[in-house]
Amino acid sequence: MTTTTQTTINPAAELLLDDPDELRARRRFSWSRRPQKPAAATKIRTSPVAATIKWILLGAGALVMLVPFYIMVISAFKPQEEIIRHPLAISPSTFTLEYLGDAITSEKFNVIGAYGITLLFVALVNVFGIVLSAPVAYVIARGRSKWHLGLLLLFVSGLFIPGQVTLIPVVFILRLLGLINTIPGFILFETAATLPVTIFLFAAYLRTVPRDIDEAAALDGAGRIRAFWSCIFPIMKPVVATIVVLNSISVWNDFVSPQIILGPSSGIYTVTTGVYAAVGEFSTDYTTVFPTLLLAIAPAVVFFIIMQRHIIGGLVAGATKG
Amino acid sequence: MADTVTRAPGLLRAPIERRDRALRTWRNRLPGIIMGGPAVLVFIAMFIIPMILAFVLSLTDWNGYSLNFTFIGLENYADAFRNPRTVDAAIFTAVVAFFGTILCNGVGLATAALISGPGRANTVMRTVFFYPYIISSLIIGFIWSAMLAPTGVVNSLLAQVGIPAMPWLTDVTFAKASIILTIVWSHFGFNMILYLAGIKSVPVEYYEAATVDGATRWQQFRNVTLPLIAPVVTVNLVLTLVGLLKVYDVVLALTNGGPAGSTQTIVFQILSDSFANADLGFGAAQSVVLLIVTAVLGLGVTLARRGSEKKVTD
Repeated sequence: MTTTTQTTINPAAELLLDDPDELRARRRFSWSRRPQKPAAATKIRTSPVAATIKWILLGAGALVMLVPFYIMVISAFKPQEEIIRHPLAISPSTFTLEYLGDAITSEKFNVIGAYGITLLFVALVNVFGIVLSAPVAYVIARGRSKWHLGLLLLFVSGLFIPGQVTLIPVVFILRLLGLINTIPGFILFETAATLPVTIFLFAAYLRTVPRDIDEAAALDGAGRIRAFWSCIFPIMKPVVATIVVLNSISVWNDFVSPQIILGPSSGIYTVTTGVYAAVGEFSTDYTTVFPTLLLAIAPAVVFFIIMQRHIIGGLVAGATKG
Repeated sequence: MADTVTRAPGLLRAPIERRDRALRTWRNRLPGIIMGGPAVLVFIAMFIIPMILAFVLSLTDWNGYSLNFTFIGLENYADAFRNPRTVDAAIFTAVVAFFGTILCNGVGLATAALISGPGRANTVMRTVFFYPYIISSLIIGFIWSAMLAPTGVVNSLLAQVGIPAMPWLTDVTFAKASIILTIVWSHFGFNMILYLAGIKSVPVEYYEAATVDGATRWQQFRNVTLPLIAPVVTVNLVLTLVGLLKVYDVVLALTNGGPAGSTQTIVFQILSDSFANADLGFGAAQSVVLLIVTAVLGLGVTLARRGSEKKVTD
């Protein structure tokens, strides 16, 4: 599955995700637009000076990227005094798990609860988003009339509407429906927010799925709905994976919608709204700030490390097709 | 359908046939309606109606709670252009969007060009430059606000090399620069990834030809890579610009709009007017303006880039 994931969606994306050996092996059966020659042979010889300058620049850039992360991690295990005095130092004598423990058991921010709630939201939005989008994308991809094109354009127009513009009236609508400050209300809004990208990518993918499959299913007596779910949907795995990656990241990181739709009165905190409540404004108590932030980003970083290839491939596919 | 033409025309048969046909098309369409209906309903409820509502509300003085409100025409829009708070926020948002877009894309393209080669080191660099993108921008803001605070890590590091503390987040100019740099730090990796995908899709033959012609690496980049990835440049510019016009989370965490409200963005205004200030009509008017500006700029950049994309294919 890994292999088919991005090669079908975006060969260019796949290219940059792998080391060359694996790629060469993969190219054998996927696609072979590029010659099998190692890229190095075609490059002009770079002077050693240029190479040195390049790697000094990249090294400096890498430091700028990594030092904040390093400081955040080590500061989660240090007392305030140490964080301010020796921000870069790791010393075993001041190492403590006390503050991390405090952050885990903090009353302001129930980390474990927030993980659970946010994961639940991610899962529900993914399921509902896909179940809603896949059939409509299929209808659009198979339709030939101007209505189907119109439908696609309608959904795609949603890509250009900033969430903040619709959020205020959405609050009003959810209040009317009695769904404000409730999980169903939030899920409804987040699911709707995923529809444009999901339908667009699904429809683009389904256009590449041959109609023979539909016809075969019809010959076997399956209705259109049955044919879709049991014959077409299983083929959509690669694009579904892309969508799951895109939607999971956006739901996990969303702050404004949970903050407003699930206001403080609901008592429901996601990781982001929980961090906001715990760290707040102008907090200078670093023994709270750093452990809380570390806890908040840990799952995302772990997820990124494990799924890096899919995440990057998914983002590229989402951006270049959308 | 074709056989209807050959069939003998009968006055009596026509209505029955029409009914049959209607029934048949209905039966053919039903699965499509069942499959598409729910998504269309959700989309209408959460996108279309809110859009219309935002526009209608922007013409009223509704406070969001009371039952009586009046239509005040375009008064809210006039206010938006008169209100110094909104104007300042719009200017700051424009500054962030402009410099943010240029820097994210400049740095992103440069790093992509430097690490486009094969090899482990390049892969590692790609991960290092990209990772902040998957962290929520609110948390990015909090990380940097802790780093840049008056007693924060950056100032204490500066003190160790004998440089006096800088007012990173407490001085108006410094705070604005800090916000833009934080955005670039966390976002350019995404642009870099897209540029890398573009660069890697340029056929190797073109570089071979350029090498034969004696082109330097810079000339190859300037005359082969850059024109061929023009569509990627457009996507990058539009995505970054449109994204930065609604920047909020990172500013909230980094400066909370301060010092003295100097770093409030337009979304700050929309949210505070709509909820805290109970001036929903005014908030809605500002969000409609934001929507129009976003659409115009997004389309404008796309159309403006059309020219430089065309040159390549000709």
